[in-house]
Amino acid sequence: MKTTILLVIPKIKSIKNSINLKALLKRLPFIFIGLIFWLAFYIGCYEALNFIRSIEFFGEILSKKLLCMTFFSLSIFLVLSNIITALSSFYMSKEIPFLLSKPIKIKEIMRLKTVETILSSSWMVISFIPPFFIAYGISYDAPFRFYLVLMLVFIPFLLIAGGIGIAVAHLLTRIFSIKKIRLALLAAGLLLFLCLYLLVRSQWSISFESPERFINALLAVKTDSPLIPSFWITESVIPLLKRQTPDNLYPLLILSNGAFMLLLSGAIGKRLYLNNLERIQPSIKHQTKVSTEGFYPGSNLAFLWKDIKIFFRDAGQWSQLFIIFALILIYIYNFRTIPLKALSEISPFIKEFMVLINILMAGLVLSAVSARFLYASISLEGMAFWIIRTSPVTAKKLLWSKFLYGFIPVTVILLTLVFITNIAIGADSLLMLLSLVTMFIMCISISGLGAGTGAMYPKFRYENIASISTSPGGMLFMLFAFSVVLLTVSLEAWSFYPYKKAVISGLELSYAQIGQLVMAGILIIILNSLAFYIPMKMGKKRLEEDFSL
Amino acid sequence: MIVLDKVSKSFNGKWAVKELNLHVVKGEVFGLLGPNAAGKTTTIKMMTGLLRPTGGKILINGYDIVKEPIKAKSIFGYVPDKAFLYEKLKGREFLKFIASIHGIEKSTAINRIDELIGTFGIKEIEEELIESYSQGMRQRLLFLSALIHNPSVLFIDEPFVGLDPFGVMMLKDTIRRLSSTGVTIFLATHSLHIAEELCERAGLINRGSLTCIKNKEEIITEGGLERLFLKITS
Repeated sequence: MKTTILLVIPKIKSIKNSINLKALLKRLPFIFIGLIFWLAFYIGCYEALNFIRSIEFFGEILSKKLLCMTFFSLSIFLVLSNIITALSSFYMSKEIPFLLSKPIKIKEIMRLKTVETILSSSWMVISFIPPFFIAYGISYDAPFRFYLVLMLVFIPFLLIAGGIGIAVAHLLTRIFSIKKIRLALLAAGLLLFLCLYLLVRSQWSISFESPERFINALLAVKTDSPLIPSFWITESVIPLLKRQTPDNLYPLLILSNGAFMLLLSGAIGKRLYLNNLERIQPSIKHQTKVSTEGFYPGSNLAFLWKDIKIFFRDAGQWSQLFIIFALILIYIYNFRTIPLKALSEISPFIKEFMVLINILMAGLVLSAVSARFLYASISLEGMAFWIIRTSPVTAKKLLWSKFLYGFIPVTVILLTLVFITNIAIGADSLLMLLSLVTMFIMCISISGLGAGTGAMYPKFRYENIASISTSPGGMLFMLFAFSVVLLTVSLEAWSFYPYKKAVISGLELSYAQIGQLVMAGILIIILNSLAFYIPMKMGKKRLEEDFSL
Repeated sequence: MIVLDKVSKSFNGKWAVKELNLHVVKGEVFGLLGPNAAGKTTTIKMMTGLLRPTGGKILINGYDIVKEPIKAKSIFGYVPDKAFLYEKLKGREFLKFIASIHGIEKSTAINRIDELIGTFGIKEIEEELIESYSQGMRQRLLFLSALIHNPSVLFIDEPFVGLDPFGVMMLKDTIRRLSSTGVTIFLATHSLHIAEELCERAGLINRGSLTCIKNKEEIITEGGLERLFLKITS
């Protein structure tokens, strides 16, 4: 154990060394955004919980059900997250060869990796879930004991998920190759998420027709088996909310199972870890393959060709497409289920409103997709960036190549998305044209913004690709991208409203209204041109400066 | 030909390289030697355009690396000390990429790649992903990629890291052959015996300053590079 602590110390020191006043000030806007999220999440949970509790007869049952379902979902998320993280930290981490070469017992390395896995899998839950529990505590006016017991049982709850995740990771690596496991897990996780979403979404639409049916459907979801940890943790805290004494059996069950799962993962690891590590070493086949020469890219297509080849070979890059497509499916599904007919009776502008909302939402999807395809593109050169820096290639050419690499797929995806959703809404040809042109303009500007800011804040040293777009620079890009999208859509709404009003009333547009239309168009073009030009220029300048490689 | 005229580089006010003056003639093999953190890699990084000098001028065959970087970069090859490559490309694909960014026409590039792959002994693994290459194979691939466009100047940082005896021998032969055809070679290294064997002149750098430059005869007269190295650095 002493050695494990020794091994953990450098990691703590690394974190400590990276925290200073300058770094803190740099992250201040993000801390502020995080606090606002916390507050909004708390208010949302509190209001929703109060509403649920106010439902006659079912209120308290539903409240308990919601807590149990939350713990159940958390446990599934945590197990999946632990499996994926364990595969990375136990088998793919760059420090493993170093640790193995030192006089450190294998069980100490496994302990270190267990701590690392559980912490990195749980930090997101630990950061985002507190407002939910606080909302419960305040809604029930719970005593301090509730928060204390919750914290005490939540730690072994995390350990249970961690132990299961690590054990499964060892077993999977014994059976499959590491890359195939990650991919299969990601696909399975997304499929599960989509199924759950569609299930909930279909029951949600029932609730509009009949609240009783919705409640019955919710109650029918079985997440409260006495054999699972989510039930034990719910039973450990629910009585405390009502100022009752909980049965000691449940906290004891969680504690003992937390310890047991850790021991189990250790025992499985002891048996499999070293053998697995040997199995996954990359090996080379000494064979002379006779193959055709294939495509030769030439100087203009060199970067594009290289980036596309790497993209399709690197599971870490293309597996993120699953997440994007899942988001798009949910997005289209949502538009298909909007009760437009009923809503059009409330407002005659509903179609126009929905088209604008569609552009806005598609703009947000565009920003998220661009964060992956464009913002990350320069950073993805990684430590091999020296190759480009010492080659006879201008920063401008490199940046334009990265722009095209992201712009083409992003534009195809987004224009298709807007086209399909507009058809689902039943938009007429003018609305269709307007939204497609707007989306095309935004694709250019957001792509330029992504490539440019990505070049301004490159992160060549990364362990996983997702960390590039979640870096401070990535957050800044998202903030700017959202602002550009929001302003563009607002200007469009500002110009479109008088036009549609005149068309409906059969009147001709006044000079002032025509001026408003022209002005909005000019402002949209200026805004999007600046969003493209300034970051591209600044990114080019940054690429010409020194890099610590 | 390489000219360094009062080249300096500072990081956050601390001098990594101070007023370096150097002239390496065409076809010469020049070795830059020095202890760790003496400024060897910083100097080579400035010469290859990875870092910009804080002061002074660097000319590669008459082209200023700061003012005319593209022209300068098109005539030199660079082999860094750490072999970071595109792991998901195959060896042959990587070479095609490098040939493409140097603007080499297809048939010339293919012939050159075939020729170099044969010379450097990586024919068997050219269709394998680089991620599966050993350190020595990566080093060979790096050399090969640095030579693909027939450079007239070659910068090499710690050239023999990870190479097996056969690889070292092959590389030494290549350096000698290139030098005899008029390629200027600038190498930074810790391996004193190899520098002694290959270099016509050697410069010793310590704490960012070039302390002396000796030719082969002077090195022999003064008892070898090791003695000189210890004398200057102690």
